[in-house]
Parts: sequence; C-alpha cells; structure tokens
Amino acid sequence: MTTLEYKGYVTEGVAKGKFDYYVYTELCKGCGLCIAKCPINAKGENCLHWSKEVGLYQTPAVEPDPSLCIGCGTCALVCPDSAIRIEKKAL
Amino acid sequence: MTTKILELPPNLPKSQNEEAGASKFCPGCGHGMVLKTLAFAIDELELKEKSVFGCDIGCSLLSWNYMDIDTVQTHHGRTTAVIYGVTRANPEAIGIAYMGDGGGLAIGAQHLVNAAVRGEKMLIVLVNNTNYGMTGGQMSPTTLPGQRTETTPYGRDCSVTGKPAKGAEMIAAIADSDKSYVARASVSNLRKLRSTFKKALKNVNEGGFSFVEVLSICPLNWRTNNVDTWARLQTMEEFFEVKEFVSREGL
Repeated sequence: MTTLEYKGYVTEGVAKGKFDYYVYTELCKGCGLCIAKCPINAKGENCLHWSKEVGLYQTPAVEPDPSLCIGCGTCALVCPDSAIRIEKKAL
Repeated sequence: MTTKILELPPNLPKSQNEEAGASKFCPGCGHGMVLKTLAFAIDELELKEKSVFGCDIGCSLLSWNYMDIDTVQTHHGRTTAVIYGVTRANPEAIGIAYMGDGGGLAIGAQHLVNAAVRGEKMLIVLVNNTNYGMTGGQMSPTTLPGQRTETTPYGRDCSVTGKPAKGAEMIAAIADSDKSYVARASVSNLRKLRSTFKKALKNVNEGGFSFVEVLSICPLNWRTNNVDTWARLQTMEEFFEVKEFVSREGL
C-alpha cells in the first residue's frame, strides 16, 4: 500500500486561530452545497465563498473568511466528497 | 494562497475506499453524503469485516468502488434478492442493499415487499431523489405532483399517473414490528441520518430487517443551484414525512 498524496490548500488560523481549514482540490467538484448550508452565510455575512483556486472539474473551489468562520464543521459534514477538513490546532 | 501537496489526508471513513479518489457522482449528488454517512455508521459499530454491500443499476451503481467492503453489483431491482441470498448462505454477514427509488419502488418493488414480509436479515437503503437520474431525469414513482421532468414537461398530472409512491409507509404496513426497523431520513440532517443508520445496522446485527428511505438531492436533473436545491429538499420533506415508522424495542 502506497500512501496517497492529496493536493489542496490550507487557510490557517480560522476562528481566532483555533483551527486550520483544509480544502482538497482533487475532491472538490464545486457544487456549492457547503456555501448554502453555512450558518454564518445564513445570517447574511459572506463567510464561506468561492475561491480563486479550482477544483476537480476546473470549477471554483471554496475558501472561508478567517475572521468570520467559527469552525463549526457544517461544511465538512455536508460535503458529498469529503473535500473539506477542519483540524484543531495543537496548542 | 497556493495549491500544494497537503500533509494531512481528508477525513474519510475507514469503510470508504480511499484509493478510488473522487467519487463518480455528479457535483452535489446526495449519494456521496448518504454513502459517507453509512460508512461512518459501519465504522462506529465495527461491522466492516462482516458487511456485504450490493448496489443496483442507475446512479446508485456508481458506488461500486466507493466502499472498502465486499461489493456486488446486480441486475436492476434485484439487489434485495441477491443480498438476502448472500445472508441466507452466510448468516454471519450483514447484508446492505443500496438502491434508488427506481430500483426499489418500480422494477424491484416485488422483491422489496416480499423481503419485508419475510423479515430477511438485511438493511435496505432506498435513496429517493424523485427522478431517474442516470438516464436524464425522467419521471419515477416518487416524482412530486406538478414536478417537471423529461417525461412530464407540464408537471406530473396525478389524475393520469397516480400519486407518488410512499415506500416507507408501505413497508411499515407489512413489516413485522417485533424484528423490524423502518424509517425515513433526509440528507438535510446528516447527524440524524447517521443515528438512523446506526439503529438500522444494530437491528440487522441482531437478526432483524431494516429499511431506511433517504430523501436525497439531484441538482443536475432538478436544474437547481445550491440554494434552490436545499429549498427543494424542504418541499420534499413536507410531502414525505421524515420519521421512524417501526422501531423494535431495545434499539
């Protein structure tokens, strides 16, 4: 078994530096379900939004606003392709 | 922000096949959510080694390499029959039959009804997205009244086609309440879906029959964007009641 490599990008220090926000560009298909489900976006803010990076089908991937994201994990839960991972930072 | 090789792998369940890469489903398909949640439930109950997964024809067949458990792909509608054959030959196995609304309520309805009457030891997951997705979005038994599809361009007319089939209610009426678990869940609440799958798998592990209908989404054939997709799922939840219909005591 070889270990697999995953391409993607990290937004460091979301939710006042508590979490790192990983997006895997080889898994994200750009469906946008996470953007519609984000509880901060539901309040009228622009927390989770389209990124300049592209995903699997050359459609925009997503990225969070580090100052607005609270690291609730709704986007990671709802993603059909597990393209989002929110990892707690080791203190 | 630049794309690079990340040190941390994605948070995938152990029962999911990591080497398959991104799933074959369309962007935003509900199957990904249902299968991911099912895999997490299997992990939590540590049933990976005992499970047998059967997938049907239609969009659900694209799950043929999704799971890292023994998988068989069957004829259209015959998943129920194949999986209870497996569990009869090997009573230790946990049989999971995974199908869409076409495979369960149209061509495979006969097998579904008889498996429920006999109370076979298996879990049936019926993913309801109100159309036939793989062939281009034609009308299925569960298409909502007035819904536009390829074959009902003026909306579904219930005076001609009848009312939508309610699978979970039908199974609840005929299933043995002493050894069955029948529920309807939705992908709008994945935590609830996971606890539903856990109860269903626990019931199968104790020799019972479980049926879970999952209300799912199909953005491509519904022609909805991300916001409208969730709104459409909301109207589906108003029509198809989301609840537990039959639950054996002690689950």
